[in-house]
Formats: sequence, C-alpha cells, structure tokens
Amino acid sequence: MFKDNFNLAYKNIRERMSRSILTLLGISIGIMAIISLMGIGEGMQVAVTGELSSLSDTILVSAGGSSNDFELLQEGVDDNGEYLTERDISDIERIQGVKEVSTQLTGAGVITYNRENVIVTLTGMDTDTIKIAYSEEDLEAGTFLEEGDQNKCIIGYSIAHEDFDSEIAVGSRISINGEKIVVNGIFKKQGMGGLTSTDSIVILTSRDFEKLTGESNIKLAAVRVSDPTNVEVIAEEIEQAINENHGDDDFASATAMSSILETIQNILGILSLVLIAIAAIALVVASIGIMNTMLTSVMERTREIGIMKAIGAENKDVMLIFIIEGMLVSLVGGFFGIILGVFGSQGLAGILTNMGAGGPGAESMGLTPVITLFSIVLAVGVSLIVGILSSLYPAWKAARMSPIEAVRYE
Amino acid sequence: MSNNVIVTKDLSKTYGKGSLQVTALQKTSISIERGEYIAIIGPSGSGKSTFMNLLGCLDTPSTGKLYIDDIDVSTLNENQLAKIRREKIGFIFQKYNLIPTLNAIENTTLSMSFNNIRSDERVERAKNLLDMVGLSHRVDHKPSEMSGGEQQRVAIARALANNPSIILADEPTGNVDTKSGNNIMKILEYINNKGETIITVTHDPNIAKRAQRILRIQDGIVSEGNV
Repeated sequence: MFKDNFNLAYKNIRERMSRSILTLLGISIGIMAIISLMGIGEGMQVAVTGELSSLSDTILVSAGGSSNDFELLQEGVDDNGEYLTERDISDIERIQGVKEVSTQLTGAGVITYNRENVIVTLTGMDTDTIKIAYSEEDLEAGTFLEEGDQNKCIIGYSIAHEDFDSEIAVGSRISINGEKIVVNGIFKKQGMGGLTSTDSIVILTSRDFEKLTGESNIKLAAVRVSDPTNVEVIAEEIEQAINENHGDDDFASATAMSSILETIQNILGILSLVLIAIAAIALVVASIGIMNTMLTSVMERTREIGIMKAIGAENKDVMLIFIIEGMLVSLVGGFFGIILGVFGSQGLAGILTNMGAGGPGAESMGLTPVITLFSIVLAVGVSLIVGILSSLYPAWKAARMSPIEAVRYE
Repeated sequence: MSNNVIVTKDLSKTYGKGSLQVTALQKTSISIERGEYIAIIGPSGSGKSTFMNLLGCLDTPSTGKLYIDDIDVSTLNENQLAKIRREKIGFIFQKYNLIPTLNAIENTTLSMSFNNIRSDERVERAKNLLDMVGLSHRVDHKPSEMSGGEQQRVAIARALANNPSIILADEPTGNVDTKSGNNIMKILEYINNKGETIITVTHDPNIAKRAQRILRIQDGIVSEGNV
C-alpha cells in the first residue's frame, strides 16, 4: 500500500519536474543554512575550547583589579603602576594545591635601532610562560625563547615593521636600554582581532628583563594547580591572600582560565542559537513554498483525486499520497541542502577568517567548520518534519474533495 | 444473497434549503437483478447524473434507502462508502478518467491497491483483464500514448479489477469514434454475458436498444421505458 502511494507521489513529482525542483531548492537553501551555520558555530566552539582547554589548570593573577576576563588577557600594555610583590608570589606558592607560579614582569624600556629610539613596554616572562600564553602559530618568523637563552627577544609586528624607518628581521641586533639583544622571533600582525594584543610587545626572559631594567615589577603571574577541579577555589584563595598583603579589597584579580573558557563558550552558544534561528527563518519560508506548491497541485488534480476516490480510495489513502509527496520533495531537498551546507560552511569560514582580523587572530581562532553527525541527523529530521507539516494541510484539502468531481458532466 | 444487486426504496435527492430547494430525484423504488443489462436514458438535467451518483455511492440520498448486495448503504459514512465503491462498483466514465501519470497496468491495479491485494496478484489480474479488452500490447503505455478507444478499454479493465457486483458506465462511447464505440459495446456485452450487472447511461438510442431493460428519467421521475 505504502509502495503504491510512494509510486503515485513520485510520478506526480516527476510530472511537474521544474516546479518540484524549485520547491526543492527552497528546502535545500534552508537546510544548507542550518548545516553551514551549525558547522561554523561548532567550529568556533572547538577552536576556542582547543586553544583554552589546555590551560584549564591555569590561573592568571594580575595586580590592579582587572575589570574583566578579556582585559586580563590583553597583556599589560597600559601600566597603572600597581604590581605584585615577591611576597605575593611566595604567598601564592604556599597555597595548598598550587604546583608552580611563573611571573610576567612589566616595565618601560628604550629600543635603539639604526640610531633611532623608540620607547616601548618590556615584558619579562619565564620561557614556560611564553609557551602557555602564545602559540608558535602566532609567530610570522623565528621561534620562542628557550630555557637558558640570553640576550634574545621576541618583538611584535609594529615594532618590527612600523615603528622604525628600517625593518627589523629575525637575527637583527637591536639595543634595549643600551644592551645588545638579538631578535629571536617576530609576531604576526594581529590588528583588532584576537584575544591578546601582540603588535607592540617586546618579550624578554625574566632574567634579561631584570638585568636590563634593574626592576622586577610583576604585572601578571600564571599559577598552575595540580588538580584542575579545584581551580576556582584556589583562585579565590590567591585573591584573598594578595588583597590582605596590600590591605586593599580590590587590589588583585585571580581568574581561572576555565572560567574564561566558560564565558566564551556561553557567548558562542548564544551566537550559535542566533545563527540557527536565522536558518530556521529560511526553513519556514521553504515550508511555505512546499505548502503553496502542494496546494496548487491539489487544485490542479481535483479531477484525479475525485477519480481515485470514486474507484475506492479512502481519505487516508489520498492524504498519504500528498504527504509522501511533500516528504519526498523535502527529503531530497534536504539531502542536497546537506551537501551544499558542507561546502557552504567551508566558504563561509573562509570569508569570516578573511574578514575577522586579516591575520593570525582569526586564524588561530581556527575557523574550520565542524559538521557533526548530530547536525546531519537534525537536518534530515527537520526536512522530514517540514515536509510532513507543510503537506498536511494540502493533503487534508485533497482528502476532503468530493468524488462527484470525477463524474461531473461537462 | 438475494438475486437483487440494487434495491431502492423511496430513494430521493434534494439540493438546497427552504424556498431554494430543488428535488433532483423524486422518490424512486426499483430493483435491479444480478446480470441485468440496463440503459438509463433521459434528457440533460433530468436527474440522470443524480441517480447515477446515488447508485454509485458517490453521493448520499436525502430520503429513502439504497441496498447494494443487501447492504443498506444510505447510512454509511465516507470511508465505508469508499469501501463499497471499490468492492462492489466498477466505474466507466465518458472521459475515461485514467490517472495521467500511470501506465495502463498501473491504472488497472490502482483500485486493487486500495483494496490491499498483493502486488503480484494485482499485476497478474491486471494483465489478464488488459488481455481480455485486447490491450496486452499496451500495458506500459500511458493514457497520453493511447487512443480514446484504447483508454476506454483500460478504464473497463480497471472497472473490473476488484470483481464488482455492478458496472456503472456513464456514456462509455460518448467520446470515441463509432468503430471504437462498437468495440467497447461488444466488450460490455461480453462481460454481461459472463454474469456481470451493467448499468449504462446513454443519449444514443442505438446503444440503449442493445440493453435488456431501459429506465427513463424525466424531471426526476424514474420510469420503466423503451426507446
């Protein structure tokens, strides 16, 4: 029985090929939107999670009560004159569950290159900390500093290419506060994009920093804990300990990277929902398209429906034929939509990456769309449901038609 | 089962309400025996089509009773009527009314599929019926690829598909040339000779003359008549 109705529905679709294809296209576009937007959303989640989840055991501690998570990540270019002390660091080290503390020093310095002077903010970091804070992909040339390196630095794109009349390259010797330093690596141009600003950065090892500046102003400390599940509690303890040291309730902020991750994931989650809502609009339009086509088809086939009822088709037989027809169109449309969506999401990712920052920021965001099995199952399910729902009304109208239509004298 | 295929008792049909009421069929009480070959004649607007629609269970009566194979169909609901139509009645229409997207064999098997007959059995039976009406060479042709006479013969095969108790033929030769018309009449007479009850509506006195019994309808009144 189902096979016969399927056959009838299939032949009806073929009979009106061009119209069927246009209807089908509507569904394809809707499903394509869903698949590609979900792919992008999922891709963003995966990228951000991948980048930050390795830091789940890390707490960033900064002086000066940083106001939000993102500012914290914007390594301390604007220096408000508040620093963590050696005592703070040793207090942190004493807290139960803390594995290691690495510090980031900040202070002013002067770079001299080809007899030109530029004032910069110097950053001193342990070599391990550098690797936590940045990834190799952020560099356009050279490498990070290794344990034991001396008189070497990594500089930002602006310093290498814009601040001086002559270009600075990897291997160039520059002078910082009068000391000869070799450029070991240069960051890519970052622009307005990503999370951490590296364009004007100058990174030295902590030892070199102290040697050059004679200071050890700690702007930022990265704390690693032995058990990531305790990270929030320990962050709280650190904040309390430092605030006590300075007699200021709002002196320090200790933020677990995992809570930043959570915040970002929440934002991306909302973003994904918005994207899917947009795609859903396309689907609603497509389903109206199906309904419209089917209603037209019911009108055109009044006589045919009458004949079928005259020779004994029950209402459910007639309904089934039209519902199967709607389902078929929708499923085939959905199938093409999935294929289009897979390609579409690649294209969209490309466009977004180019628009994003035009550089390493967006790329390290890694906008590789991720098409999950779930989104494909969802797409098939949605097209099936759209097909059934939008053909229900036309099918019902068809089923209600009188068989007398068929035998009417003309 | 009695020998009467159709029995009507005060069967009537009225359209509209109040002062706009039109009685298309006056109270009619007739009976038709199994194996009869009946022609219904009458001018346009006489109530012929109303009568046919009632006999064919396409429409429900306003008053009175209609028995088909001793089943009172005047009280049945839509789906029960559909079951009567596919099991007891075979329709042949003036304009053939085949499904344009289906070929000859699919058109013939269609009503069997509504009757849940097994696929191989359906095809077997459809082939035999198409063979009987002389169309075994046309089984996979669509209506648009066949002449009017051929289409009408497919329609006859379709009407016979579920072994109905009655064949209702509405101007079966109205749209075909004389030669094809003659061919169709011969087929109808052949199946009548094999015991099938046939009721045909016609304008053509020559066709009416070939029937055993003539019912004349005028102004909604059915009477026994002759040409």
